[in-house]
Amino acid sequence: MRDMPYRWIEAIQDRADYIEDQLKPGSPVVGLPYADGSLLLTVSKGAQKIFEVHDRIALSAIGHPADIERLRMLVTDTASVQAFQSATEDVNLHRLTHYVLAHTFKQAFESIVGEAYIIKMLLVEIGNGAPETQFTHINYDGNVKVQHESGVIGGTEEIETAMQNYLTEAKNDTPPDLDSALQLALKTWAVGRKLSQSFADAEDSNEVSEDEIDEVINTELEEGEIEAGILDNSLSGDTKFRLLNKDEITRTINR
Amino acid sequence: MNHKGDFLSLLKHADTLQVDGEQTQGISEVNVPELLPSIKKPIRDAMVLPTQDRQTHSTTLALAEATTVVAMRYKDGIIIAGDRRATAGTSVVHDRAEKVIPIDSHSVLAISGAPAMAFEIARVLKHSFQYFRRSQLQELSVEGKLRTLSRLILDNLPMALQGIGAVIPIFALYAPQTDETVNGGKIYFYDALGAHFENVDFATTGSGSVWIRGVLRYLDRWGETRLEDMDEQQATITILRLLDTASEYDAATSGYNAKAEIFPTVKTITRHGVETLTDKFLNECYAEAT
Repeated sequence: MRDMPYRWIEAIQDRADYIEDQLKPGSPVVGLPYADGSLLLTVSKGAQKIFEVHDRIALSAIGHPADIERLRMLVTDTASVQAFQSATEDVNLHRLTHYVLAHTFKQAFESIVGEAYIIKMLLVEIGNGAPETQFTHINYDGNVKVQHESGVIGGTEEIETAMQNYLTEAKNDTPPDLDSALQLALKTWAVGRKLSQSFADAEDSNEVSEDEIDEVINTELEEGEIEAGILDNSLSGDTKFRLLNKDEITRTINR
Repeated sequence: MNHKGDFLSLLKHADTLQVDGEQTQGISEVNVPELLPSIKKPIRDAMVLPTQDRQTHSTTLALAEATTVVAMRYKDGIIIAGDRRATAGTSVVHDRAEKVIPIDSHSVLAISGAPAMAFEIARVLKHSFQYFRRSQLQELSVEGKLRTLSRLILDNLPMALQGIGAVIPIFALYAPQTDETVNGGKIYFYDALGAHFENVDFATTGSGSVWIRGVLRYLDRWGETRLEDMDEQQATITILRLLDTASEYDAATSGYNAKAEIFPTVKTITRHGVETLTDKFLNECYAEAT
Protein backbone atom coordinates (compact mmCIF):
# COMPACT_ATOMS: atom_id res chain seq x y z
CA MET A 1 0.00 0.00 0.00
CA ARG A 2 2.99 2.30 0.46
CA ASP A 3 3.36 2.56 -3.33
CA MET A 4 -0.12 4.09 -3.34
CA PRO A 5 0.40 7.16 -1.14
CA TYR A 6 -3.19 8.35 -1.14
CA ARG A 7 -4.53 5.03 0.13
CA TRP A 8 -1.82 4.83 2.75
CA ILE A 9 -2.57 8.31 4.08
CA GLU A 10 -6.27 7.50 4.09
CA ALA A 11 -5.67 4.30 5.98
CA ILE A 12 -3.55 6.13 8.55
CA GLN A 13 -6.25 8.74 8.97
CA ASP A 14 -8.90 6.03 9.46
CA ARG A 15 -6.68 4.40 12.03
CA ALA A 16 -6.15 7.69 13.89
CA ASP A 17 -9.91 8.32 13.92
CA TYR A 18 -10.55 4.84 15.25
CA ILE A 19 -7.96 5.17 18.03
CA GLU A 20 -9.19 8.62 19.06
CA ASP A 21 -12.76 7.34 19.25
CA GLN A 22 -11.59 4.55 21.53
CA LEU A 23 -9.56 6.90 23.72
CA LYS A 24 -12.23 9.59 24.08
CA PRO A 25 -14.08 8.17 27.11
CA GLY A 26 -10.87 7.30 28.97
CA SER A 27 -10.48 8.48 32.55
CA PRO A 28 -7.91 11.34 32.43
CA VAL A 29 -4.66 11.34 34.38
CA VAL A 30 -3.05 14.34 36.06
CA GLY A 31 0.61 14.70 36.97
CA LEU A 32 1.73 17.46 39.33
CA PRO A 33 4.89 18.28 41.21
CA TYR A 34 4.58 18.88 44.95
CA ALA A 35 7.00 19.95 47.65
CA ASP A 36 8.70 16.55 48.09
CA GLY A 37 8.30 15.03 44.64
CA SER A 38 5.60 14.35 42.08
CA LEU A 39 2.06 13.03 42.05
CA LEU A 40 0.02 11.06 39.50
CA LEU A 41 -3.74 10.89 40.01
CA THR A 42 -6.70 9.36 38.24
CA VAL A 43 -10.04 7.78 39.09
CA SER A 44 -10.36 4.15 38.13
CA LYS A 45 -12.90 1.37 38.36
CA GLY A 46 -10.98 -1.69 39.47
CA ALA A 47 -7.88 -2.02 37.31
CA GLN A 48 -4.72 -0.31 38.52
CA LYS A 49 -3.63 2.56 36.27
CA ILE A 50 -0.62 4.06 38.02
CA PHE A 51 2.57 2.02 38.05
CA GLU A 52 6.15 2.07 39.30
CA VAL A 53 8.65 1.72 36.44
CA HIS A 54 11.90 2.29 38.27
CA ASP A 55 13.33 3.99 41.35
CA ARG A 56 12.43 7.51 40.19
CA ILE A 57 10.07 6.85 37.30
CA ALA A 58 6.32 6.20 37.33
CA LEU A 59 3.79 5.62 34.58
CA SER A 60 0.11 5.97 33.87
CA ALA A 61 -1.91 5.56 30.68
CA ILE A 62 -5.34 5.58 29.16
CA GLY A 63 -6.41 3.15 26.47
CA HIS A 64 -6.93 -0.56 26.05
CA PRO A 65 -5.87 -2.47 29.17
CA ALA A 66 -4.02 -5.13 27.16
CA ASP A 67 -1.96 -2.49 25.33
CA ILE A 68 -1.23 -0.64 28.56
CA GLU A 69 -0.02 -3.87 30.16
CA ARG A 70 2.13 -4.87 27.20
CA LEU A 71 3.88 -1.50 26.96
CA ARG A 72 4.18 -1.17 30.73
CA MET A 73 6.01 -4.50 30.79
CA LEU A 74 8.26 -3.42 27.92
CA VAL A 75 9.39 -0.27 29.67
CA THR A 76 9.68 -1.98 33.07
CA ASP A 77 11.72 -4.85 31.63
CA THR A 78 14.01 -2.48 29.79
CA ALA A 79 14.60 -0.26 32.80
CA SER A 80 15.28 -3.31 35.03
CA VAL A 81 17.80 -4.83 32.63
CA GLN A 82 19.59 -1.53 32.03
CA ALA A 83 19.83 -0.91 35.77
CA PHE A 84 21.35 -4.35 36.31
CA GLN A 85 23.74 -4.23 33.38
CA SER A 86 24.92 -0.72 34.05
CA ALA A 87 23.70 1.16 37.11
CA THR A 88 20.43 2.43 38.48
CA GLU A 89 21.60 5.99 37.87
CA ASP A 90 21.88 5.27 34.14
CA VAL A 91 18.17 4.55 33.78
CA ASN A 92 16.41 7.74 32.81
CA LEU A 93 13.15 8.78 31.27
CA HIS A 94 14.75 10.36 28.21
CA ARG A 95 16.35 7.08 27.15
CA LEU A 96 13.29 4.99 27.88
CA THR A 97 11.08 7.38 25.95
CA HIS A 98 13.18 7.97 22.89
CA TYR A 99 14.93 4.63 22.46
CA VAL A 100 12.18 2.26 23.57
CA LEU A 101 8.66 3.66 23.69
CA ALA A 102 8.29 6.40 21.06
CA HIS A 103 9.43 4.34 18.10
CA THR A 104 7.43 1.32 19.30
CA PHE A 105 4.27 3.46 19.35
CA LYS A 106 5.07 4.98 15.94
CA GLN A 107 5.89 1.66 14.33
CA ALA A 108 2.65 0.06 15.50
CA PHE A 109 0.62 3.07 14.44
CA GLU A 110 2.05 3.23 10.93
CA SER A 111 2.11 -0.51 10.24
CA ILE A 112 -1.42 -0.43 8.97
CA VAL A 113 -1.70 -4.14 8.46
CA GLY A 114 -0.85 -4.82 12.09
CA GLU A 115 -2.70 -3.97 15.25
CA ALA A 116 -2.37 -0.45 16.59
CA TYR A 117 -1.85 0.42 20.20
CA ILE A 118 -4.83 2.18 21.68
CA ILE A 119 -2.95 4.14 24.26
CA LYS A 120 -1.73 7.49 25.50
CA MET A 121 0.94 7.38 28.16
CA LEU A 122 2.14 9.80 30.80
CA LEU A 123 5.46 9.14 32.52
CA VAL A 124 7.05 11.14 35.29
CA GLU A 125 10.60 11.23 36.55
CA ILE A 126 11.87 13.09 39.59
CA GLY A 127 15.42 14.37 39.30
CA ASN A 128 18.31 12.71 41.04
CA GLY A 129 19.77 15.83 42.58
CA ALA A 130 18.47 17.84 39.63
CA PRO A 131 15.80 20.33 40.63
CA GLU A 132 13.40 19.57 37.82
CA THR A 133 10.67 17.04 37.48
CA GLN A 134 9.94 15.80 33.99
CA PHE A 135 6.52 14.79 32.67
CA THR A 136 6.58 12.97 29.34
CA HIS A 137 3.42 12.57 27.30
CA ILE A 138 3.54 9.96 24.53
CA ASN A 139 0.74 9.93 22.00
CA TYR A 140 -0.47 6.77 20.26
CA ASP A 141 1.43 7.85 17.09
CA GLY A 142 4.77 8.15 18.93
CA ASN A 143 4.78 11.92 19.33
CA VAL A 144 6.49 12.97 22.53
CA LYS A 145 5.84 16.09 24.56
CA VAL A 146 8.04 16.90 27.56
CA GLN A 147 6.86 19.30 30.25
CA HIS A 148 8.25 20.31 33.61
CA GLU A 149 5.42 22.05 35.43
CA SER A 150 2.68 19.44 35.01
CA GLY A 151 1.44 16.72 32.70
CA VAL A 152 -2.00 15.49 31.72
CA ILE A 153 -3.54 12.88 29.46
CA GLY A 154 -7.15 12.93 28.38
CA GLY A 155 -9.30 11.43 25.66
CA THR A 156 -8.70 14.24 23.16
CA GLU A 157 -6.31 17.13 22.64
CA GLU A 158 -9.09 19.59 23.50
CA ILE A 159 -9.63 17.89 26.85
CA GLU A 160 -5.92 18.01 27.59
CA THR A 161 -5.76 21.72 26.69
CA ALA A 162 -8.69 22.50 28.98
CA MET A 163 -7.06 20.57 31.82
CA GLN A 164 -3.74 22.37 31.27
CA ASN A 165 -5.55 25.73 31.25
CA TYR A 166 -7.21 24.89 34.55
CA LEU A 167 -3.82 24.00 36.04
CA THR A 168 -2.24 27.19 34.68
CA GLU A 169 -4.93 29.33 36.30
CA ALA A 170 -4.47 27.56 39.64
CA LYS A 171 -0.69 27.71 39.41
CA ASN A 172 1.30 28.92 42.37
CA ASP A 173 4.96 29.94 42.35
CA THR A 174 5.92 27.52 45.08
CA PRO A 175 5.15 23.80 44.71
CA PRO A 176 2.12 22.85 46.83
CA ASP A 177 2.21 20.36 49.68
CA LEU A 178 0.90 16.88 48.95
CA ASP A 179 -2.62 17.56 50.24
CA SER A 180 -3.06 20.67 48.09
CA ALA A 181 -1.57 18.90 45.07
CA LEU A 182 -4.02 16.01 45.52
CA GLN A 183 -6.99 18.35 45.70
CA LEU A 184 -5.87 20.34 42.65
CA ALA A 185 -5.16 17.15 40.69
CA LEU A 186 -8.62 15.78 41.49
CA LYS A 187 -10.32 18.99 40.32
CA THR A 188 -8.24 19.00 37.15
CA TRP A 189 -9.20 15.37 36.59
CA ALA A 190 -12.86 16.36 36.98
CA VAL A 191 -12.45 19.05 34.31
CA GLY A 192 -11.20 16.42 31.90
CA ARG A 193 -13.87 13.93 32.92
CA LYS A 194 -16.67 16.44 32.48
CA LEU A 195 -15.43 17.36 28.99
CA SER A 196 -15.05 13.73 27.92
CA GLN A 197 -18.72 13.21 28.86
CA SER A 198 -19.95 16.35 27.07
CA PHE A 199 -17.95 15.66 23.92
CA ALA A 200 -19.64 12.31 23.73
CA ASP A 201 -22.99 14.07 23.42
CA ALA A 202 -22.22 17.19 21.40
CA GLU A 203 -19.45 19.67 20.67
CA ASP A 204 -19.94 21.80 23.76
CA SER A 205 -17.90 24.59 25.25
CA ASN A 206 -14.81 23.48 27.15
CA GLU A 207 -15.50 25.74 30.10
CA VAL A 208 -16.23 23.80 33.29
CA SER A 209 -17.55 25.60 36.39
CA GLU A 210 -16.54 24.79 39.97
CA ASP A 211 -20.07 23.51 40.63
CA GLU A 212 -19.78 21.12 37.70
CA ILE A 213 -16.41 19.97 38.98
CA ASP A 214 -17.88 19.14 42.40
CA GLU A 215 -20.81 17.37 40.77
CA VAL A 216 -18.54 15.24 38.56
CA ILE A 217 -16.39 14.28 41.54
CA ASN A 218 -19.41 13.28 43.64
CA THR A 219 -20.99 11.29 40.82
CA GLU A 220 -17.85 9.53 39.64
CA LEU A 221 -16.71 8.56 43.11
CA GLU A 222 -19.92 6.60 43.63
CA GLU A 223 -18.52 3.88 41.38
CA GLY A 224 -14.86 4.76 40.90
CA GLU A 225 -11.97 5.13 43.30
CA ILE A 226 -9.26 7.75 43.39
CA GLU A 227 -5.89 6.25 42.61
CA ALA A 228 -2.80 8.27 43.40
CA GLY A 229 0.89 7.39 43.22
CA ILE A 230 3.77 9.54 44.34
CA LEU A 231 7.48 9.71 43.69
CA ASP A 232 8.62 10.99 47.05
CA ASN A 233 12.16 12.31 47.40
CA SER A 234 11.89 12.13 51.18
CA LEU A 235 11.60 8.31 51.17
CA SER A 236 14.81 6.85 52.57
CA GLY A 237 15.44 3.90 50.22
CA ASP A 238 16.38 3.87 46.53
CA THR A 239 12.77 3.37 45.50
CA LYS A 240 10.89 6.64 45.65
CA PHE A 241 7.52 5.37 44.38
CA ARG A 242 4.55 4.42 46.46
CA LEU A 243 0.79 4.28 45.95
CA LEU A 244 -1.19 6.30 48.46
CA ASN A 245 -3.56 4.16 50.49
CA LYS A 246 -7.30 4.75 50.75
CA ASP A 247 -7.08 6.35 54.18
CA GLU A 248 -4.50 8.90 53.07
CA ILE A 249 -6.56 9.85 50.03
CA THR A 250 -9.88 10.03 51.89
CA ARG A 251 -8.38 12.11 54.68
CA THR A 252 -7.05 14.64 52.17
CA ILE A 253 -10.10 14.86 49.97
CA ASN A 254 -12.50 15.31 52.90
CA ARG A 255 -10.37 18.08 54.38
CA MET B 1 7.89 -10.88 26.67
CA ASN B 2 6.35 -11.28 30.11
CA HIS B 3 8.79 -13.12 32.33
CA LYS B 4 6.25 -13.57 35.11
CA GLY B 5 8.37 -11.52 37.43
CA ASP B 6 11.41 -13.81 37.14
CA PHE B 7 14.39 -11.50 36.83
CA LEU B 8 16.85 -14.28 35.95
CA SER B 9 14.63 -15.34 33.07
CA LEU B 10 14.36 -11.72 31.94
CA LEU B 11 18.15 -11.36 31.91
CA LYS B 12 18.54 -14.56 29.97
CA HIS B 13 16.24 -13.27 27.24
CA ALA B 14 17.08 -9.59 27.47
CA ASP B 15 18.68 -9.43 24.04
CA THR B 16 15.44 -10.60 22.48
CA LEU B 17 12.95 -8.38 24.29
CA GLN B 18 10.26 -7.93 21.70
CA VAL B 19 7.04 -6.17 21.01
CA ASP B 20 5.06 -7.92 18.33
CA GLY B 21 8.08 -9.53 16.78
CA GLU B 22 10.04 -6.30 16.50
CA GLN B 23 13.22 -6.19 18.51
CA THR B 24 13.44 -2.97 20.44
CA GLN B 25 16.41 -0.78 19.66
CA GLY B 26 16.67 0.46 23.20
CA ILE B 27 17.25 -2.96 24.66
CA SER B 28 19.71 -4.05 22.01
CA GLU B 29 22.45 -2.04 23.67
CA VAL B 30 22.13 -4.03 26.88
CA ASN B 31 22.83 -7.49 25.51
CA VAL B 32 22.95 -10.18 28.11
CA PRO B 33 24.93 -12.96 26.50
CA GLU B 34 24.07 -15.45 29.17
CA LEU B 35 22.46 -15.78 32.53
CA LEU B 36 24.32 -13.87 35.21
CA PRO B 37 27.36 -13.21 33.04
CA SER B 38 29.56 -11.91 35.79
CA ILE B 39 29.02 -15.06 37.80
CA LYS B 40 28.83 -17.62 35.07
CA LYS B 41 31.89 -16.63 33.13
CA PRO B 42 34.32 -17.01 36.01
CA ILE B 43 32.63 -20.29 36.85
CA ARG B 44 33.17 -21.51 33.33
CA ASP B 45 36.75 -20.27 33.29
CA ALA B 46 37.46 -21.82 36.65
CA MET B 47 36.17 -25.17 35.45
CA VAL B 48 38.94 -25.43 32.86
CA LEU B 49 41.82 -24.20 34.97
CA PRO B 50 44.64 -26.68 35.52
CA THR B 51 44.83 -27.97 39.05
CA GLN B 52 47.93 -26.02 40.02
CA ASP B 53 46.29 -22.78 38.82
CA ARG B 54 43.21 -23.46 40.90
CA GLN B 55 45.44 -23.70 43.90
CA THR B 56 46.93 -20.29 43.15
CA HIS B 57 43.51 -18.70 42.65
CA SER B 58 42.16 -20.15 45.84
CA THR B 59 44.64 -18.14 47.86
CA THR B 60 44.29 -14.87 45.97
CA LEU B 61 40.53 -14.78 45.54
CA ALA B 62 39.27 -15.90 48.90
CA LEU B 63 39.36 -12.39 50.30
CA ALA B 64 36.58 -12.26 52.83
CA GLU B 65 35.81 -15.88 53.41
CA ALA B 66 37.09 -15.24 56.87
CA THR B 67 34.70 -12.93 58.61
CA THR B 68 32.00 -12.73 61.27
CA VAL B 69 28.39 -11.81 60.66
CA VAL B 70 25.71 -12.29 63.27
CA ALA B 71 21.95 -11.73 63.47
CA MET B 72 19.57 -12.02 66.39
CA ARG B 73 15.96 -11.32 67.16
CA TYR B 74 15.31 -8.53 69.64
CA LYS B 75 12.17 -6.83 70.89
CA ASP B 76 11.42 -4.79 67.75
CA GLY B 77 12.62 -7.22 65.07
CA ILE B 78 16.08 -8.24 63.95
CA ILE B 79 19.49 -6.76 64.63
CA ILE B 80 22.21 -7.85 62.23
CA ALA B 81 25.89 -6.95 62.19
CA GLY B 82 29.17 -7.69 60.48
CA ASP B 83 32.80 -6.78 60.98
CA ARG B 84 34.56 -4.68 58.32
CA ARG B 85 37.74 -6.67 57.61
CA ALA B 86 38.55 -8.31 54.26
CA THR B 87 41.56 -10.61 54.15
CA ALA B 88 43.63 -12.49 51.62
CA GLY B 89 45.55 -15.23 53.36
CA THR B 90 47.20 -13.57 56.30
CA SER B 91 46.98 -10.06 54.83
CA VAL B 92 44.34 -7.51 55.65
CA VAL B 93 43.38 -6.03 52.27
CA HIS B 94 40.49 -3.80 53.25
CA ASP B 95 39.19 -2.51 56.55
CA ARG B 96 35.91 -0.93 55.49
CA ALA B 97 34.11 -3.82 53.79
CA GLU B 98 30.31 -3.72 53.95
CA LYS B 99 29.11 -7.25 54.60
CA VAL B 100 25.59 -6.40 55.71
CA ILE B 101 23.67 -5.42 52.59
CA PRO B 102 20.08 -4.15 52.47
CA ILE B 103 18.14 -5.99 49.77
CA ASP B 104 14.79 -4.27 49.99
CA SER B 105 12.82 -2.18 52.47
CA HIS B 106 12.45 -5.09 54.93
CA SER B 107 15.26 -7.56 54.20
CA VAL B 108 19.02 -7.74 54.61
CA LEU B 109 21.71 -10.15 53.47
CA ALA B 110 24.80 -10.62 55.62
CA ILE B 111 27.55 -12.27 53.63
CA SER B 112 30.46 -14.46 54.43
CA GLY B 113 32.45 -15.95 51.60
CA ALA B 114 34.18 -14.79 48.44
CA PRO B 115 33.24 -11.14 48.04
CA ALA B 116 32.90 -11.12 44.24
CA MET B 117 30.29 -13.86 44.37
CA ALA B 118 28.64 -12.59 47.52
CA PHE B 119 28.22 -9.03 46.28
CA GLU B 120 26.93 -10.26 42.94
CA ILE B 121 24.41 -12.54 44.63
CA ALA B 122 23.24 -9.61 46.75
CA ARG B 123 22.94 -7.42 43.65
CA VAL B 124 20.97 -10.01 41.69
CA LEU B 125 18.74 -10.60 44.69
CA LYS B 126 18.02 -6.89 45.05
CA HIS B 127 17.13 -6.51 41.38
CA SER B 128 15.04 -9.70 41.45
CA PHE B 129 12.85 -8.49 44.32
CA GLN B 130 12.42 -5.08 42.74
CA TYR B 131 11.59 -6.56 39.35
CA PHE B 132 8.98 -8.87 40.82
CA ARG B 133 7.28 -6.02 42.65
CA ARG B 134 7.33 -3.71 39.65
CA SER B 135 6.19 -6.24 37.08
CA GLN B 136 3.71 -8.29 39.11
CA LEU B 137 2.38 -5.36 41.19
CA GLN B 138 2.91 -7.15 44.49
CA GLU B 139 5.77 -7.95 46.84
CA LEU B 140 7.48 -11.30 46.40
CA SER B 141 6.41 -13.64 49.19
CA VAL B 142 8.83 -14.62 51.95
CA GLU B 143 9.05 -18.14 50.52
CA GLY B 144 9.67 -16.69 47.05
CA LYS B 145 12.53 -14.58 48.38
CA LEU B 146 14.09 -17.55 50.13
CA ARG B 147 13.90 -19.70 47.00
CA THR B 148 15.42 -16.99 44.83
CA LEU B 149 18.43 -16.85 47.13
CA SER B 150 18.60 -20.67 47.17
CA ARG B 151 18.80 -20.73 43.37
CA LEU B 152 21.62 -18.19 43.33
CA ILE B 153 23.63 -20.08 45.93
CA LEU B 154 23.10 -23.35 44.07
CA ASP B 155 24.21 -21.67 40.81
CA ASN B 156 27.41 -20.78 42.60
CA LEU B 157 28.11 -24.41 43.57
CA PRO B 158 30.96 -25.02 41.07
CA MET B 159 32.89 -22.11 42.56
CA ALA B 160 32.19 -23.34 46.07
CA LEU B 161 33.36 -26.88 45.21
CA GLN B 162 36.67 -25.57 43.93
CA GLY B 163 37.22 -23.65 47.10
CA ILE B 164 37.40 -20.29 45.40
CA GLY B 165 33.95 -18.82 45.72
CA ALA B 166 31.77 -20.28 48.46
CA VAL B 167 29.12 -17.94 49.83
CA ILE B 168 27.34 -18.71 53.10
CA PRO B 169 24.96 -15.87 53.90
CA ILE B 170 22.47 -15.05 56.59
CA PHE B 171 19.22 -13.67 55.24
CA ALA B 172 17.05 -11.72 57.66
CA LEU B 173 13.73 -10.02 57.07
CA TYR B 174 10.72 -8.60 58.78
CA ALA B 175 7.33 -9.77 57.51
CA PRO B 176 5.43 -6.45 57.56
CA GLN B 177 1.95 -7.94 57.37
CA THR B 178 2.38 -9.64 60.70
CA ASP B 179 0.02 -8.74 63.53
CA GLU B 180 1.46 -5.76 65.42
CA THR B 181 1.69 -7.70 68.65
CA VAL B 182 3.87 -10.39 67.04
CA ASN B 183 7.56 -9.97 66.29
CA GLY B 184 7.74 -10.46 62.50
CA GLY B 185 11.53 -10.76 62.40
CA LYS B 186 12.87 -13.92 60.75
CA ILE B 187 16.44 -15.17 60.35
CA TYR B 188 17.46 -17.74 57.74
CA PHE B 189 20.74 -19.57 57.45
CA TYR B 190 21.92 -21.15 54.19
CA ASP B 191 24.34 -23.93 53.36
CA ALA B 192 26.55 -23.96 50.25
CA LEU B 193 23.98 -26.00 48.32
CA GLY B 194 21.25 -23.45 48.84
CA ALA B 195 19.23 -25.20 51.52
CA HIS B 196 17.76 -22.74 53.98
CA PHE B 197 16.87 -23.18 57.61
CA GLU B 198 15.05 -20.78 59.85
CA ASN B 199 16.97 -19.94 62.97
CA VAL B 200 14.45 -18.79 65.48
CA ASP B 201 16.53 -16.61 67.76
CA PHE B 202 19.97 -16.06 66.27
CA ALA B 203 22.41 -17.06 63.54
CA THR B 204 26.07 -16.44 62.90
CA THR B 205 28.45 -17.43 60.14
CA GLY B 206 32.03 -16.84 59.02
CA SER B 207 35.29 -17.95 60.57
CA GLY B 208 34.68 -16.00 63.79
CA SER B 209 31.24 -17.50 64.31
CA VAL B 210 32.60 -20.59 66.05
CA TRP B 211 33.74 -18.41 68.94
CA ILE B 212 30.38 -16.78 69.56
CA ARG B 213 27.73 -19.34 68.70
CA GLY B 214 27.98 -20.87 72.16
CA VAL B 215 27.85 -17.43 73.76
CA LEU B 216 24.65 -16.65 71.85
CA ARG B 217 23.11 -19.88 72.99
CA TYR B 218 24.11 -19.15 76.60
CA LEU B 219 22.72 -15.59 76.51
CA ASP B 220 19.49 -16.67 74.89
CA ARG B 221 18.93 -19.50 77.35
CA TRP B 222 20.32 -18.19 80.62
CA GLY B 223 21.09 -14.50 80.10
CA GLU B 224 19.66 -11.89 82.45
CA THR B 225 17.50 -10.63 79.58
CA ARG B 226 16.62 -13.03 76.79
CA LEU B 227 17.74 -11.85 73.34
CA GLU B 228 14.15 -11.47 72.19
CA ASP B 229 13.29 -9.23 75.13
CA MET B 230 16.19 -6.81 74.63
CA ASP B 231 15.54 -3.25 73.51
CA GLU B 232 17.60 -1.69 70.71
CA GLN B 233 20.38 -0.43 72.94
CA GLN B 234 20.75 -3.71 74.86
CA ALA B 235 20.74 -5.66 71.60
CA THR B 236 23.32 -3.33 70.06
CA ILE B 237 25.63 -3.57 73.06
CA THR B 238 25.29 -7.37 73.00
CA ILE B 239 26.03 -7.67 69.29
CA LEU B 240 29.06 -5.34 69.58
CA ARG B 241 30.40 -7.44 72.45
CA LEU B 242 29.91 -10.58 70.36
CA LEU B 243 31.87 -9.14 67.44
CA ASP B 244 34.53 -7.99 69.85
CA THR B 245 34.77 -11.53 71.22
CA ALA B 246 35.04 -12.98 67.72
CA SER B 247 37.78 -10.52 66.81
CA GLU B 248 39.71 -11.49 69.93
CA TYR B 249 40.06 -15.11 68.75
CA ASP B 250 39.70 -14.84 64.96
CA ALA B 251 42.45 -12.97 63.13
CA ALA B 252 40.19 -12.45 60.12
CA THR B 253 37.55 -10.57 62.12
CA SER B 254 38.10 -6.94 63.00
CA GLY B 255 36.87 -5.26 66.12
CA TYR B 256 36.16 -1.59 66.66
CA ASN B 257 39.07 0.43 65.25
CA ALA B 258 39.18 3.40 67.63
CA LYS B 259 42.16 5.02 65.92
CA ALA B 260 40.48 5.18 62.50
CA GLU B 261 36.97 5.29 63.95
CA ILE B 262 35.83 2.30 61.92
CA PHE B 263 32.77 0.68 63.44
CA PRO B 264 31.18 -2.63 62.54
CA THR B 265 28.12 -2.39 60.30
CA VAL B 266 24.99 -2.77 62.41
CA LYS B 267 21.45 -2.63 61.01
CA THR B 268 18.02 -3.20 62.43
CA ILE B 269 15.01 -4.57 60.55
CA THR B 270 11.72 -3.65 62.15
CA ARG B 271 8.12 -3.03 61.17
CA HIS B 272 9.32 0.35 59.86
CA GLY B 273 12.00 -1.09 57.61
CA VAL B 274 15.78 -1.39 57.51
CA GLU B 275 17.78 1.14 59.48
CA THR B 276 21.55 1.56 59.70
CA LEU B 277 22.69 2.43 63.20
CA THR B 278 24.81 5.56 63.17
CA ASP B 279 28.44 5.71 64.24
CA LYS B 280 27.39 8.15 66.96
CA PHE B 281 24.94 5.65 68.43
CA LEU B 282 27.48 2.82 68.11
CA ASN B 283 30.06 4.98 69.87
CA GLU B 284 27.66 5.51 72.78
CA CYS B 285 26.97 1.78 72.90
CA TYR B 286 30.69 1.03 72.88
CA ALA B 287 31.08 3.29 75.90
CA GLU B 288 28.53 1.07 77.64
CA ALA B 289 29.88 -2.16 76.20
CA THR B 290 33.46 -1.89 77.40
